[in-house]
Amino acid sequence: MAISLKPVDVAVIGLGAAGGIAVLPLAQAGLKIAGIEAGGWMDARTFRPDEIHNNVRGLVTSVPKTKSEVPTVRDSPSAVARRVGNHPMMNAIGGTSIHYWAQSWRLKPWDFRTRSETVKRYGAGAIPAGSTLEDWPLTYDELERYYDQVEYEIGVSGKAGNIQGRIDPAGNIFEGPRQREYPMPPLRATEFTDRMAQAAHELGWHPFRPPAAINTQPYQGRPGCAYHGFCGTGGCHIGAKNSTAITTIPAALKTKNLTIFDRAQVTRIAAGDDGRVTGVNYLREGKEYFQPARVVLLASYTYENSRLLLLSKSKAWPNGLSNNHGQVGKHYFAHWGTQGGGAVVALFPFDINVFYGLPAQGTAVDDFGDDSFDHTGLGFIGGTTLHVHTELHPIEAAAMNTFGRAPGWGARWKAFVRQNAARWTAAYLQTSTFPYETTFLDLDPQVRDPLADPVCRVTTSPRENERRSVEYAQNKMEQWFRAAGAIEVIKAPPTGPALSTHAYGGTRMGDNPETNVADRWGFSHEAPNLGILGASVMGTSGARNPTLTVQALAWRTAEHLVKSWKTIAG
Amino acid sequence: MQPDDQDAPQLSRRTVLASATLVPVAALTAAAQAPSTALSTTERQILDAFVDRLVPADELGPGALACGAANYIDLALADALAGEKATLAEGLAAVDAFARTQHGMPFPQLTPDQKDAVLTEIDEGRATGFTNPRAFFARVRRLTLEGMFSDPYYGGNKNFAGWDLIRYPGPRLAVAPEEQKMSALPKPLHQSAYGSKFNHGH
Ligand SMILES: Cc1cc2nc3c(=O)[nH]c(=O)nc-3n(C[C@H](O)[C@H](O)[C@H](O)COP(=O)(O)OP(=O)(O)OC[C@H]3O[C@@H](n4cnc5c(N)ncnc54)[C@H](O)[C@@H]3O)c2cc1C
Repeated sequence: MAISLKPVDVAVIGLGAAGGIAVLPLAQAGLKIAGIEAGGWMDARTFRPDEIHNNVRGLVTSVPKTKSEVPTVRDSPSAVARRVGNHPMMNAIGGTSIHYWAQSWRLKPWDFRTRSETVKRYGAGAIPAGSTLEDWPLTYDELERYYDQVEYEIGVSGKAGNIQGRIDPAGNIFEGPRQREYPMPPLRATEFTDRMAQAAHELGWHPFRPPAAINTQPYQGRPGCAYHGFCGTGGCHIGAKNSTAITTIPAALKTKNLTIFDRAQVTRIAAGDDGRVTGVNYLREGKEYFQPARVVLLASYTYENSRLLLLSKSKAWPNGLSNNHGQVGKHYFAHWGTQGGGAVVALFPFDINVFYGLPAQGTAVDDFGDDSFDHTGLGFIGGTTLHVHTELHPIEAAAMNTFGRAPGWGARWKAFVRQNAARWTAAYLQTSTFPYETTFLDLDPQVRDPLADPVCRVTTSPRENERRSVEYAQNKMEQWFRAAGAIEVIKAPPTGPALSTHAYGGTRMGDNPETNVADRWGFSHEAPNLGILGASVMGTSGARNPTLTVQALAWRTAEHLVKSWKTIAG
Repeated sequence: MQPDDQDAPQLSRRTVLASATLVPVAALTAAAQAPSTALSTTERQILDAFVDRLVPADELGPGALACGAANYIDLALADALAGEKATLAEGLAAVDAFARTQHGMPFPQLTPDQKDAVLTEIDEGRATGFTNPRAFFARVRRLTLEGMFSDPYYGGNKNFAGWDLIRYPGPRLAVAPEEQKMSALPKPLHQSAYGSKFNHGH
């Protein structure tokens, strides 16, 4: 029998990038919160500049939960799904914000209204065949103040390109209007990123230093970035990079309204016969607990969000919690671009020295993002941001492509890497990706986790729209690299990612309960006291990283809960 | 393992992948044993000869063998990569068997040219006696790179010769703007992330 705990107002499942944000407005409003997190606190002293630990073996985590329940993947509904390698999401207080790259872009207004804007500009025939694309139930303008709130709360550095309609070419001129400048200037440029920026200018493009949730100067008691070259999949040893473990979670703890249950794995969300959720069951140090709560917020990342709902069957929910319309797991998609097979790798005839720095330090171009350019005749909608950045670890540097200029081993290879390990880089491309009928999440019928629960299964399918879109962007990227002096450029054939750190959908947000799990505020259409946080509610990806949007939405959902407490908590 | 790791925090080098329950990484580490190796003497000799040809010693500096790449692999197979040991050992035996059919001698005793001929056959997928010669070759190559270019803490990259070869200037806790210049790679810092200089902390 589960040990029953003292009831709380809100139980939050997962204290990562999303859950770790939501607890702050809730705690500030005086609600009593149980934060139930599978991982534990991490100690910055264990964050070392060690490529084997961080990158090769992916050991930066407090417990190996994510690694023991890696989803399976198949590329058609008739295939058998298989496990594909590792998955780098984190289990810790702070979640994946501990070791993410911290690029913190806002979506563009077009991303919220992709369907209607596409139909308006190109006609209904331009909507990709088989896609389940819908407009978001909110606009960029409605989310703007939450973006702003989060940027100032966690500390985002960057240069605004559009303050209330005033365009500044030092920033991203294609971004939506923002109410004010970023709280800190952008990460510094390097000689190489300046060279790339110069080349972009010569091509008539509009390069800028992209935003990051990383301090560039002391901010809220944390220092500026040290540019040491081990930021990607590594925790920040000085706390310059935001993680919710060092920003919003400690602030919420200070109110004494948040209690954290660490190393506690939620196994089911419980519901009464009326369908309302009543709390969560979790395991901690081998014991089973029941945490009663008047409201539950689910924030366990895309794959686990859908899986926990599907696992939480009850009398009221025979097909899984909040799944009476069969929408849980649907409208899943993951970022195409470099996350898939769309690499663009360049070799220069001189040292570029990108060993140090960080993946968020670079120069980016949004001229080909989303709908910033005319797509007439191109055969796809959406677009790609191009980002050239620093940070290259030694094993990765030596494992470089030899561009057909040397064999893969022996004395000639050795001479090649001596000369060229400091002369190459790979661009980071992020392409607008859309939901399709044939791409979804469900429970794997065969593969189980250590608790004998089925793991999440991903079914994907080829997409012509995204393939063309990535190819278009790869050609632009090649042009850019060559303009900066590259002597070789390799473009890998675009494919979709299997598992992704930018995974969207499964509990999409929309006004229509027939096609969406969450309503416009992030609460379940079917189980009204269940809220859902994370990119699992997003219906489009934009051509940029998800987390700032995830966090702005999390803040908004939490604020809505506070304002509508009586209605939601019942 | 390395002279400068005595002040290393007890970070786990064991695989957490195999762990079936929610075990804090710290608990796994507490149980960590002194480093041991996995391969038999014969297997190790074959591996030594293999990595020695992948990255030979020459005027550019020590090769993979002197860098300790085989040592790295052997240690890893007893630890984080224990799950791969059987496959690797089977592949090494196949290298030797294939060398004997081609040249009538064990692989380690062949001339450098003969060894290269054998490795080329494996790399290009023509060698017999392997489950998948290309995949085996690619894996040994990859692990050799890890051994040559990883932190010396893991038993390879001896005297930082791997990092010097590719002109990687070594981990630092803070990097100045000049150290990110294109034209002037910074002076190499020969230190392990587990050396005393890295005992930062709050
Ligand atoms: C290497 C890397 C680089 C990235 N770079 C960027 C970037 O530059 N910009 C960007 O926007 N995004 C980036 N991302 C993606 C970003 O990390 C995610 O978008 C973000 O962390 C998602 O937030 P989340 O709260 O949904 O999930 P997470 O941050 O992963 O948090 C989920 C939390 O839930 C906990 N949890 C899971 N299941 C349970 C359970 N059953 N019970 C209790 N707790 C549970 C987990 O332990 C975890 O702490 C990157 C990701 C990786 C891996």
